[in-house]
Amino acid sequence: MQNLKNKLNLVYELSRLDFKLKYYGSALGLFWSLVKPFMMLGILYVVFFYFLKVTIQNYEVYLFLGIISWNFFADTTKDIAPGIGSKAHLLQSTSLTPAVVIAGTVLHSFWTFFITLVIFFIFFFALGLHLAISAVMLVVLILFLVLLTVGVSLCIAPLYMRFNDFGHIWDIFLQMLFWATPIVYDYKVVPISFSKWYLLNPITRVIVDIRNAVLYGFFPEPKQIFITLAIIAIIYFIGVFIFKKYARRFAEEL
Amino acid sequence: MIEARHLTKIYKIPHEKTNTLFGQVLGRIKGKTTYESFHALNDVSFTLRKGEMVGLIGKNGSGKTTLLKILGGIIQPSSGSFLTQGTVAPLIGLGIGFHGELSAQENLYLYGAILGMPRKKIKEKLDEIFTFAGVARFRDMKLKHFSSGMVARLAFAAMVQSNPDILLLDEIFAVGDKDFRPQCLAVFDEYKKQGKTILFASHDMEVIQEYCERTILLNNGQLVLFDETSKVLAYYKNL
Repeated sequence: MQNLKNKLNLVYELSRLDFKLKYYGSALGLFWSLVKPFMMLGILYVVFFYFLKVTIQNYEVYLFLGIISWNFFADTTKDIAPGIGSKAHLLQSTSLTPAVVIAGTVLHSFWTFFITLVIFFIFFFALGLHLAISAVMLVVLILFLVLLTVGVSLCIAPLYMRFNDFGHIWDIFLQMLFWATPIVYDYKVVPISFSKWYLLNPITRVIVDIRNAVLYGFFPEPKQIFITLAIIAIIYFIGVFIFKKYARRFAEEL
Repeated sequence: MIEARHLTKIYKIPHEKTNTLFGQVLGRIKGKTTYESFHALNDVSFTLRKGEMVGLIGKNGSGKTTLLKILGGIIQPSSGSFLTQGTVAPLIGLGIGFHGELSAQENLYLYGAILGMPRKKIKEKLDEIFTFAGVARFRDMKLKHFSSGMVARLAFAAMVQSNPDILLLDEIFAVGDKDFRPQCLAVFDEYKKQGKTILFASHDMEVIQEYCERTILLNNGQLVLFDETSKVLAYYKNL
């Protein structure tokens, strides 16, 4: 019990460290981390709504919710590398373990995600929109998103540690995944022949369910939510397995 | 108490080290990558009693730091196991893993968290730590601007305040000034009285002679001798 409390305290301190290293502790620093998603939102909105004439209702909130969910996943998995790199010295001269470092990075990203989510809801209500009871599902779905992000982070952290060029590979992969996820478009436009594979993507599943719960007032189907959870659990356990096997050894050789 | 059983640490040194995934794949296509095994530590076993201060000597590269790192839980042994009773504080190399971009004070919070002390507890001890280290004026300065001697002082002061049961020390006098040494020695005296176990790696034979009843001699990763300090030092001279 005491041990768990110490671990949580350590994760909290590490997330503070990440924050300080990223923004040097300035209030303006947090502002910069918010500029990115809003620029992305603005650009994609103009291109897809005005130029390509997307006909999705309330496209601004649709896009907004997709972008912040995606950014949490993408930013966390990208931040794993500097997160470990900046603590290489700590890993090699204290009893700090890589697992705690990853947890700190995820917590740090989650703060930013949480702030953008609050801004989303301010925006949402300012537009005069209303929440249905299904919005309570958001708590569960965010938990899914976090679990998925942790799982993927655990899978790729040893690769980041071992291979210097893994960051480039992951960047390309994320770019592909961004367009393979219904963030700017509706998943129903995907041809039927693709959709079987398309819907295996757990981020797609979570983002679609988040939108249904918050924007359209639907609860996800129990069967579908079970499949989502199963996919995420598989990724998570693969992550734990890979991480346990390689992380400490690679951390010693950073 | 520390009990080490057959501790071994093997590093694999590839003949062609690749740090990229691309290089690794290319290497696989070209043929098997070959490597050499380096035994940094080879089947080391010993038992330290509670309240004992033991010296650890050996030439550069003999495995002293590797041994301390394993006992401190920083790296994992390739084989073998060890047992420690109570909290362990390793002080290895400069500055126990302080972060240069953080101020001295922030570093202490982080260090405390790693050793399992909450922010509140560290806060109470901040003044004491800074006074002991003699760097109270610089508490808000980034650590990268500290001299290496100041970092070593701060690290030692923080370690003392964490009040561990087992201390693992590696060359702590290397960068300290003339005042630092007697300060450390006073702490050793105090800790011996309190029954703490200290494993002290150093090239400072005077201190080892004076403070350690027993000493371990490592050579090429192997435990050559673990006996009364005077015997071990005599043996080491002729090695």
